[in-house]
Amino acid sequence: MLTERDVVQRVQHLTVTRLRVWVAQGWIKPADRAAQSYSEADLARAALICDLEDELGFAEEDVPVLLNLIDQIHGLRSQLTGLLDALEELPPDIRTVVKMRITRSGEGGRR
Amino acid sequence: MADDPYSVLGVAKTASGADITKAYRKLAKKLHPDLNPGDKAAEEKFKQITAAYEIVGDEEKRGRYDRGEIDAGGQERPQQRYYREYAGGDEGARYRSTAGYEDIGAFSDLFGDLFGERGGARGGGAGGRRFPMRGQDAQYRLDVDFLDAVNGTKTRITLPDGGTLDVTIPPGVTDGQVLRLKGKGNPGMGEGGAGDALIEITVRPHAVFKREGDDILVEVPITLDEAVLGGKVEVATVTGRVFATVPPGSNTGQTLRLKGRGVKRGAASGDQLVRLSVVMPERLDDDLKAFAEKWRESHRYDPRRKLKEQA
Repeated sequence: MLTERDVVQRVQHLTVTRLRVWVAQGWIKPADRAAQSYSEADLARAALICDLEDELGFAEEDVPVLLNLIDQIHGLRSQLTGLLDALEELPPDIRTVVKMRITRSGEGGRR
Repeated sequence: MADDPYSVLGVAKTASGADITKAYRKLAKKLHPDLNPGDKAAEEKFKQITAAYEIVGDEEKRGRYDRGEIDAGGQERPQQRYYREYAGGDEGARYRSTAGYEDIGAFSDLFGDLFGERGGARGGGAGGRRFPMRGQDAQYRLDVDFLDAVNGTKTRITLPDGGTLDVTIPPGVTDGQVLRLKGKGNPGMGEGGAGDALIEITVRPHAVFKREGDDILVEVPITLDEAVLGGKVEVATVTGRVFATVPPGSNTGQTLRLKGRGVKRGAASGDQLVRLSVVMPERLDDDLKAFAEKWRESHRYDPRRKLKEQA
């Protein structure tokens, strides 16, 4: 676990004030909020927000939009991975049938 | 890595610092690894533009590069661990959101793409990796007559490209079964062999026969006298007509089992089940009426007794 100080030191351009604002906004949810301790994922997320604002030049009000989309993508990827892992364990013939059904619904099932 | 940083960013050597930043940001917004999770090619390009911007985005370094004091390699930036590396793990779970795609039905296209990639079909695309890959499996659908599915047959499919494919339908193939013809799919890349042809079978229903596992079901009408006296009746089976023995006193709903007359699969084979159905003559004649009236006087029976007890 990392302290607030560790995070600020390790992420370029990050200040205590910025980090606290982000936590207050809910953009970063410290792994242990009571103890103000952060995980490596929280640190990487702080670095991402720095990148978005400083490197890529997004405005502060754009950041929650981007984070929301990124979080949705990872939620989706995680569920897809679970689904694909489950499919991988099925016998090849069943996998093929599933694959065919998906291809078919892709062709005809557009709404 | 050693490409000219100006051309990597697509700017002129004379571009202003502001223009360089603008060009860099435009590319970086498109290529940032956290905005492209899972895309290796985007990550490589992002590294190149970042390295280029490290040099020409900094007035001092840009001057040194222009004077030839440092080369385009510049200095490697400390490796950043991107958020996406954590987002999929346990730690990332706190942030992951599933709110936006509860209408999951619309995602079939995406699934299709994912399967496609796993199948290796797009490996030769933008990423440009050229390792040997097995060809993609080709998928076909084939309608088969009921009796051909039971007895097996050989048939020929005409492919979309005009070629043909000889398919042996094994006896006992079932509706929805997928036949795999090794190496008859799309050609592979490099050392990789061709994919397989996968043929999904649809069995057309039959007017008379139904199938339940390896048993064949048929309904056969019999006359009143055949029901009473018994006899031999001609019955169609999947391999031709045979005579079945109806025992005396047969009833509607009673089933005769013709051993071994079902679907043959290897050494084992199913049976044909003949469900009898007693049918009155089309026209009721006086003889039968007179007989029934007389018979009733001395042979009353109540087939509904059990029914009454139960309800």
